[in-house]
Amino acid sequence: MELMILVAKVIVALFLVALHLAAFCTWVERKGSALIQDRIGANRSAAYVQTDNLLLKPVAFFLRIMGGLGVINTLVNDAVKAILKEDFVPAGVPKFVHALAPFLAVFPIFLAYAVVPMAPDFEAFGQVIRLQVASLDAGVLFLFAMGSVSVYGVAMAGWSGNNKFSLLGALRASAQMISYELAMGISLVTVILVYGTLDLYEMVNAQGKLWGICYQPLTFLILFTVGMAETKRGPFDLPESESELVAGYFTEYSGMKFLVFWLGEFAEIGLFALLLTILFFGGWNIPFFTYPSNHWIWAIVGFHVLLLKVVFFCVLQIVIRWTLPRFRYDQLMDLGWKILLPLSMLNLVFYAALKLSGGIG
Amino acid sequence: MAVTFYLMAVLLLLSAVAVITFKNPIYSALALVFNLFVVAGLFATLDAHFIAAVQVVVYAGAIMVLVMFVLMLLSAKLEKASPFSPLYFGAALICGLAFAVTLGLEFDSGFNSAPPASDLQGTVAAVGKVLYSRYVFPFEAASLLLMAAIAGAVVLARRRYRTKEL
Repeated sequence: MELMILVAKVIVALFLVALHLAAFCTWVERKGSALIQDRIGANRSAAYVQTDNLLLKPVAFFLRIMGGLGVINTLVNDAVKAILKEDFVPAGVPKFVHALAPFLAVFPIFLAYAVVPMAPDFEAFGQVIRLQVASLDAGVLFLFAMGSVSVYGVAMAGWSGNNKFSLLGALRASAQMISYELAMGISLVTVILVYGTLDLYEMVNAQGKLWGICYQPLTFLILFTVGMAETKRGPFDLPESESELVAGYFTEYSGMKFLVFWLGEFAEIGLFALLLTILFFGGWNIPFFTYPSNHWIWAIVGFHVLLLKVVFFCVLQIVIRWTLPRFRYDQLMDLGWKILLPLSMLNLVFYAALKLSGGIG
Repeated sequence: MAVTFYLMAVLLLLSAVAVITFKNPIYSALALVFNLFVVAGLFATLDAHFIAAVQVVVYAGAIMVLVMFVLMLLSAKLEKASPFSPLYFGAALICGLAFAVTLGLEFDSGFNSAPPASDLQGTVAAVGKVLYSRYVFPFEAASLLLMAAIAGAVVLARRRYRTKEL
């Protein structure tokens, strides 16, 4: 029984949340970017599916709609194409590291989903179940650890490409991630200080009455900016800036390995949206409403409320990525070291003083 | 439980040997990263989740990233095996023997009995309480030392920068 519940939790976290969020982000990236740039975007797959069979007509209609929305193109065509494509490995490349890098880039991201609580506790099979694969006592710290480890995939990809563009991309990525991790760590400490716990579930519970964003807006802004930089997207996409470095650290990857990098990136967007929702936007809490019982129906409601907020943040990050131009490299470093780091330190001192004077908590 | 311990111990030793036997410094660094992860895994099996997470954040996530960064930036060359030196061999032999003897004595004094797993040992609250009460002076001394190191690094970097400008 225990094992089956654990397997079910893993399925929910990995397949129902992580991969679906990644797929959703891919679709928003393709079709949303078209909307933003006043294009139509992918709309041709299954556009001519016609049938005379009366029973299959609704299916054909559904396929045409999905094709027109670009869903089939992003989720089926791209994946099939990447899988069937030749997996080209350039000559003189350290093969083992080259093959390992994409997996190291996605592995920590998917592992990090294990500590994120996804719904309020509910009772089933005669026991209280928490929808969280591993309820660690140091949950936030584990997330931070996985974030800091995800740089290895990028660094190894760039180095093993045996190519100057890749190496430059990898160096930029490592420098960027190290720089922004400082502000991220200090902001996370501020959040931990305010809620007085490292347990993500407890943090959500602490926001039952008032969401965290109401009394720590600056921490949210810092973490949001840092998150955009950590995912190496948006105005911070210097590691893969296609106008300078071809594709940066994954220039030498093709086929499914290339797609795995993208999968990791989109899963990271989803993870970051989840983290922001849980830290600042009350997780599954609804304003002026408390879950009346721990019946499983409320867990399902809470799960969907959480996902709705997460989807909002995913879309927001993608809109920012397609709206703002790229930073210059010195601007990127200045923002990280001269603005975000001192700001997050001042923020920490402010909340520590507030906590000592009994203002919060 | 014992199975996971022995599996991790084997991986730990293999990766440690790999660190010093690889000719390519990048491979050595990667083996060291793996080694540090296995150590974190050992902490996790002792239910010291906080220490395991800190191990990953500090060593694998920060220090080794910097090491990799520098290795990649300098595009390190392959190491060449140095010729046999009796001095190094002797020093290694003495250190190894001393280590083996110490380890053997430890084994005799009941080292192989597993430490009692308590609920509180590795939690953040327990570690924090001990760190900020009993070990507050060593902790503050360490932070002072780190501060001095940071200041020193900045001073050294600035000096080189200034001479370049001239």
